[in-house]
Amino acid sequence: MFEYFAEAIIDSALTQWIQATYWLWPVMEITHFIGLTLLLGGLIVIDLRMAGFFRSIDPAATHKLLPAVILGFSLNLITGILFFYGDPMRYSINIGFQLKMLLVLLAGINAAMYHWKVDPILQTMDRNAASPPIAKVVAYTSLLSWTGVLLLGRLIPYVGTG
Amino acid sequence: MFIWLENTSLALWVGTSLWAYPFLLSIHIVGLAVVVGIFSMRDLRLLGLFSALSIDTFSHLSKLAVAGFILNAVSGFLLFTSQASTFVTSVPFLSKLSCIAVGMILAFYIQSRLKTEIQQQTKVLAFVSLICWMAAIVAGRLIAYIF
Repeated sequence: MFEYFAEAIIDSALTQWIQATYWLWPVMEITHFIGLTLLLGGLIVIDLRMAGFFRSIDPAATHKLLPAVILGFSLNLITGILFFYGDPMRYSINIGFQLKMLLVLLAGINAAMYHWKVDPILQTMDRNAASPPIAKVVAYTSLLSWTGVLLLGRLIPYVGTG
Repeated sequence: MFIWLENTSLALWVGTSLWAYPFLLSIHIVGLAVVVGIFSMRDLRLLGLFSALSIDTFSHLSKLAVAGFILNAVSGFLLFTSQASTFVTSVPFLSKLSCIAVGMILAFYIQSRLKTEIQQQTKVLAFVSLICWMAAIVAGRLIAYIF
């Protein structure tokens, strides 16, 4: 799937512009790193409380951090697409990249579960009550999948082609 | 001294092992997410965002941030050993370390102020801290580009 898309965009003006603009790549990398701190910073607080740690934190209030998470994700989606456009043949066949995208997809489905199933529970639950099992599952799935995304992303330059 | 460090068996292992360097980089990015993630959320909260969230939240999370810092001090030191003599003259590397040092000192000051009402001075500290951590990321990334 990624290879098909890579072949379709390889001669695009965007690809040529990214490759010709020498300062752009480090700027995109820096933005991608700042984005990941916003994304993970917010999720660490939300997910750890959802999993049942730090009971003194009001679970309902943690969702106020979501704008930071969404901003971080948006920054990284945009810079991520630009990385792909900048070097389509390298990313499309890279096993680290392919697995990373699978985990992002899993994390996205999990975020939908949070939005529709878990967040409504957190908004009304007694803050001293134990976390319901579904909240724990969603919390650990989120933490594990995003940690996997970080690891795989960092390994893209070091792993082979798929 | 840095040449000596580069030639210790530890540094040679980091530099020549097929998986040591990528493994350490992977740990380093998880630590980065924990440390800068928690501290930047704390700073944004002190600057007035997500005001429904109690400030006290971040006094509980600081231990986790410090654990992330220790993880990154260790993984960072090991990464450093493999190219010690190059890194000690790298302007981005030295800038990154300075930013982290200021960020950590500020973290202890800010921690002691998390239980009281937010003072104007705490907001200034939070703003400087946020700039330090963002600058540490910028400088850290530039290590690979500016020699």
